[in-house]
Amino acid sequence: MGAPPPVTMGALPLDGIRVLDFTWVVAGPVATRILADHGAEVIKLERRPGPIGPRQTGLQGDLHRNKRSIAVNMGHPRGVAIARRLAALSDLVIDNFSARVMRSWGMDFASLSKLKPEIVCVSMSGLGHTGPRASYVSYGPTLQALAGFTRLMTEADGEPAGYGYSYADMSGGFTGALAALIALRHRRRTGQGQFVDLSQFEAVVSVVGPAILDIAVNGRVQTPPGYASQEAPAAPHGVYRCRPRDGDDDRWLALAVRSQAEWERFAAALGAPGWTAEAKFRTLYLRIRNRAELDAHVAAWAAGQTAEAAMADLQRAGVAAGLVANGADLCARDPQLQSRNFWGTVTLPDGRTTQVTGMPMKLSATPGSIRTPSPEIGSSNDYVLGELLGLGRAEREALIAEKAIWL
Amino acid sequence: MNEGAALAGLRVLDLSDYRGQLCARMLADMGADVIKVEPPDGDGARRIGPFVDDLPHRDRSLFFWFYNLNKRSLTLDLENPRGREILASLARGADLVVESFAPGTLAKAGLGWAALHAVNPALILLSIAPFGQSGPYRDWAADDTVLAALGGMLYVNGSPGRAPVRPLGLQAYHASAYYAAIAVLCALFARDRDGAGQWIDLSMQEATAAAVEHVAGSYFGDGRIEPRRGTLHWSRYFRVGKCRDGYIMHCTLGDWTSLVEWVAGDGKAQDLTAPEWNDVVYRATHAEHLFDVLDEWVKDYSRDELLERAQTLRLPYATVRQPEALLEDEQLAARGYFVEVEHLELGRTIRYPGAPYLFNGSPWRVYRRPPLTGEHTAEILREALGFDAGELAALAAEGII
Repeated sequence: MGAPPPVTMGALPLDGIRVLDFTWVVAGPVATRILADHGAEVIKLERRPGPIGPRQTGLQGDLHRNKRSIAVNMGHPRGVAIARRLAALSDLVIDNFSARVMRSWGMDFASLSKLKPEIVCVSMSGLGHTGPRASYVSYGPTLQALAGFTRLMTEADGEPAGYGYSYADMSGGFTGALAALIALRHRRRTGQGQFVDLSQFEAVVSVVGPAILDIAVNGRVQTPPGYASQEAPAAPHGVYRCRPRDGDDDRWLALAVRSQAEWERFAAALGAPGWTAEAKFRTLYLRIRNRAELDAHVAAWAAGQTAEAAMADLQRAGVAAGLVANGADLCARDPQLQSRNFWGTVTLPDGRTTQVTGMPMKLSATPGSIRTPSPEIGSSNDYVLGELLGLGRAEREALIAEKAIWL
Repeated sequence: MNEGAALAGLRVLDLSDYRGQLCARMLADMGADVIKVEPPDGDGARRIGPFVDDLPHRDRSLFFWFYNLNKRSLTLDLENPRGREILASLARGADLVVESFAPGTLAKAGLGWAALHAVNPALILLSIAPFGQSGPYRDWAADDTVLAALGGMLYVNGSPGRAPVRPLGLQAYHASAYYAAIAVLCALFARDRDGAGQWIDLSMQEATAAAVEHVAGSYFGDGRIEPRRGTLHWSRYFRVGKCRDGYIMHCTLGDWTSLVEWVAGDGKAQDLTAPEWNDVVYRATHAEHLFDVLDEWVKDYSRDELLERAQTLRLPYATVRQPEALLEDEQLAARGYFVEVEHLELGRTIRYPGAPYLFNGSPWRVYRRPPLTGEHTAEILREALGFDAGELAALAAEGII
């Protein structure tokens, strides 16, 4: 091997990897967003009409930044032919359909690997391509219900109250990005392509955590954890309502007190009120046993504090505490996230800017970046058909005229 | 042993505590050689339950097992200068070091990025910390709950007017581990070009914020602060309903005609046969009424009966299950999701949750059960550093290993 090429400034870690992206809704786009942020050329293959709602701001803007889009009619044989030619130029083909969809187009791994043996295909279906329920229709919220999350996130009266969003789409997305990179890594080492059959259901089951082993080994029926610690024991531990802020009474402080030293610092930070010296709260064991009473004291204290001040006071004392951030706390007011430039900014074609979710990993030499806004559907038709596939203007116009490609 | 594995040949030193150790576990599952470096009295995670048969012991922690399958264990006292020297020697032959100490701790011990990069320029260092390696909160304390709070994951779960509801499991840690593993793969691709390692600064607060679906999009898109809505999903197409024997998840995406014909056939459609309900946006904007009508409809069904019929009609309904149901789930069983892992010293086989993805060329697999405390110390030091029995005995006598 010769000398390695010098690093280009601004090189991205996944430069040179091309992804043909059939995914839609949320989980798949989360996976390909991560790849795109780190430099992969992600080409979304989309249909018309697209989903309703704005494409470049809000959730859609957040999901699709850094990607390209081509509008292909997969119901037209020449649309399929374009997709297959594009697959042959790609390193990864990724979808989140059920098994039959890609097969019906001849875009499944078995077909594409004849075209390009080293292709990597990742299919992120709901319940996997095999098994008696492979054909079930699902979305993130239904998968997390099947996995046990919804049932164990409850109000005090035991009624399900949880997730207000689809965590399964997020866990599915992370798992998809990781699977894609691992398979591409294997290919880089061995030259071999492969097919990854990713079940979003299994992805969300995999993040339930040690509770599954508790069921499998101890046969224990799981109960809603509430704010009982799910890691090292702690008390007090939970969320406590704080003083209203600008008329908003939905202000909460989360805190966790574990070691004896932390308890002593916690008591001191509160000004050592009498109850902190009571014998029934002397040890962690006693604090857990007398938790309801302890929580009542902490709640009464918190009610007189702003969440911001209580958090700062406790953190100064070395106690784990944080305000329960709402959208504005998180996106507009968090000094930590701002100091690390977590939120990204993209400039839209009309010159306005919008902010988007950033990348939680900072790579010192080749960090990811947010470069381009979410593409309007079909906005890369010319680039893909012209530059990548080498079709002349007349050929492109013919494809559009016969509706194999949508403008 | 792992020749055909996707990550064969990747050598990892995992210094992280339970907040970070799922990351290297996922690499080990795909064939990386992961050495878990523990203090001589064992990793802190070994003291966290649940335990096998509820008997607390450092080699019976199911919590530790979940996060450390497929790793080897080396005990090493990093407070001791000789222990730190040994770690630096091991880092010379490693591709990746994972750590989750308080920011600055490794550097103070002479094992920070500059030192490790000097001994091994190809090494990747992954630092996982609650708030990352910089910023005003850098040295703040946090656990999973505090991270879920500051990462925006808590506020949106639960009912209006009541306390936010926490997710099952340690999802701030889990999301961080996934992003961390992805970052490692990215750094490996970058290293292919120039042979240089790099330092990855992973903030768990940021990973948590990037594991919430809708909060940032709503805020940046419309200036809207997403509220708690009980089980009504923010898209307004999903809500929990109650059958006669348990809960189900309604879904009003999918084929509306099939759904409304079924409901009408049961005489429960009320106003849902009106044409405006055909419009998917109308169904979202009038979700409360829609789900109230559907709740009335499902209450005489058993949930399995409802699920089977819904899926036959291709309606994305689901049952709201206890996680115990997973162990009996036919779909997981058919795909071989659960795997049996032999624990010889306990004389039993334990069922573990398995692959989150089925690779047809270089599969996820079990290479070894989670290690006993320091189980591979001698083997690793002999292999990697050529220590002989005398040196090992001396190190053990001094309590360094």
